[in-house]
Amino acid sequence: MEYEPILPLRMVVFQILFLLVAIALEAGILRQRLRLGFQTSVQYALVTNLAAIVFGWIAFLVLEPLMPLEIEAQIINYVLFNQLLLNGWTTEVGAILFGIGLIAFFGTFFIKAKGIEFFLRSDNAWQPLTKKPPRLPRDERYARARGTGIELGQSNARFIDTIIQANAASFSAILLLILLRAFVEGQGG
Amino acid sequence: MQDIFQDINKQARLLLVPKAYFAWQTLLLLSLFSLFVAAALESIAGNDFIGIRVLTTLSWIFFISAVWWSLSEAKNLKVYGFRIDPWITGFVLCLFLFHPWRSDLRLRWAITSWPLISTGVMALPHFVNWELKTSLPNDKVKKTLITTLIVNLLLSSWIAFHFRIQDWLRDYPSLAVRGFDESEFVHDFTASDRQQPSQGAALLETMTSEISQALTDQPWYQTERWLYTRQTQLEAIFQRALETLDSPAESVFWRLDVAEPRRSGEGYALDLRANWVGPASREGVFYLEKSCKILPVEKPRPRVPQTGGTQTDRTQTNSAQTNSTQADEPQPIARLTSVSCGEDSPTEKFIGPDAAVVSPI
Repeated sequence: MEYEPILPLRMVVFQILFLLVAIALEAGILRQRLRLGFQTSVQYALVTNLAAIVFGWIAFLVLEPLMPLEIEAQIINYVLFNQLLLNGWTTEVGAILFGIGLIAFFGTFFIKAKGIEFFLRSDNAWQPLTKKPPRLPRDERYARARGTGIELGQSNARFIDTIIQANAASFSAILLLILLRAFVEGQGG
Repeated sequence: MQDIFQDINKQARLLLVPKAYFAWQTLLLLSLFSLFVAAALESIAGNDFIGIRVLTTLSWIFFISAVWWSLSEAKNLKVYGFRIDPWITGFVLCLFLFHPWRSDLRLRWAITSWPLISTGVMALPHFVNWELKTSLPNDKVKKTLITTLIVNLLLSSWIAFHFRIQDWLRDYPSLAVRGFDESEFVHDFTASDRQQPSQGAALLETMTSEISQALTDQPWYQTERWLYTRQTQLEAIFQRALETLDSPAESVFWRLDVAEPRRSGEGYALDLRANWVGPASREGVFYLEKSCKILPVEKPRPRVPQTGGTQTDRTQTNSAQTNSTQADEPQPIARLTSVSCGEDSPTEKFIGPDAAVVSPI
């Protein structure tokens, strides 16, 4: 087969760029909220983000050939011509994009949470992070049971919270960059 | 001079002849030996002998082991601090596993799985030691291995994505009419103003030649009837023409547009328009047009109705009947059809914001 001299290099460049942005943001949040070291946070953010990207790629590569022709045409239109709407196909595109965004967000959240948990466990840092608080005096326990305690948030909830926050930060930043890119291109061409 | 020769000789000996028998050079020599035996066997026993395949496979295995062993002994094979020897061994292993020179599909599989196989090559010594005892690596190594695996999965995905794009371009070659400057994903290494003809020209050529085949030398009244039912006729011709395209997969992206035939002189002008409704850039939406002139011509009707093929049979039986009633009249005149669609092949016309500048017409 003859191959056209067309390589997905821009995709590679943008993927690396977005990855760097996501790592910078997420490592910062991990370091601040989970009190991990600088190098450790960067490492966790790098590996979990890479894992999320790989899952996304596998999903795309498996699902794309199964798509009906209209959706395949949409995908081609976006990949090769940077356009989302083909032949006035608007409402469905909106709904599908929304659905994909939602799935992507919670999928990456799950992967990142499990990945960082795995890494913390293998670094023996998981226990101190989620250990039960020391046994409290009786009146304080009663206060907790009544729901009036201040420190009700368990460490686990704090962990989940951190991951969601990091994920949301990187998603927003990348979305912003994509919008900015589209805007700049709209100005330029 | 002699010194140099002796030096080279010594170097070669050092490289090839092992100091100990337990060395990678032994494996390399074994590999060469099995290859020679296989070649000798082939010259004697022919190509089908099973031993040849066994020996070539053995030769491959020895060779891969030799490469693996020698590279793991080399200490300075580093690029930016990363050892690259698993990727070289993985390359040789891919050659052995996939035989990529045999077909395109094998080549793709070989390139796509190269990073993964290399990761396997890198990981294997951490799981199995020289005594073939399996063990789990410690946590630090495990983390490195997982990171390497994920990075290589990403590389494989990129390669697979590249081949997916190539598949699109093979299935739908008319995508490439205007290049891919706007894409955020691909870079086009041909000149940025790529002007690759779409398949539309071939499509319209096939259609017009079929139309002129169907109509030429038909009696004029039949042609007019044909023009009256042109929608179904042309749709059938269009479908047949789509099947003859080099890449018939993209036929879903072509639509035929037939305008009302214009009167021109005594006959008609039939405008065929093939619209590309597939993916295209904003300025790259295009169509192709070709016009056929269908004219009546007066031709002397042949007296003996035996020329011509099956298509003219009905006319000739008709004419035979008229001949029997009006036998004594002079050479009768028939109104037949002539079709001329022009020689130049149609080109893409772009409908876009700056169509006036861009259109090559």
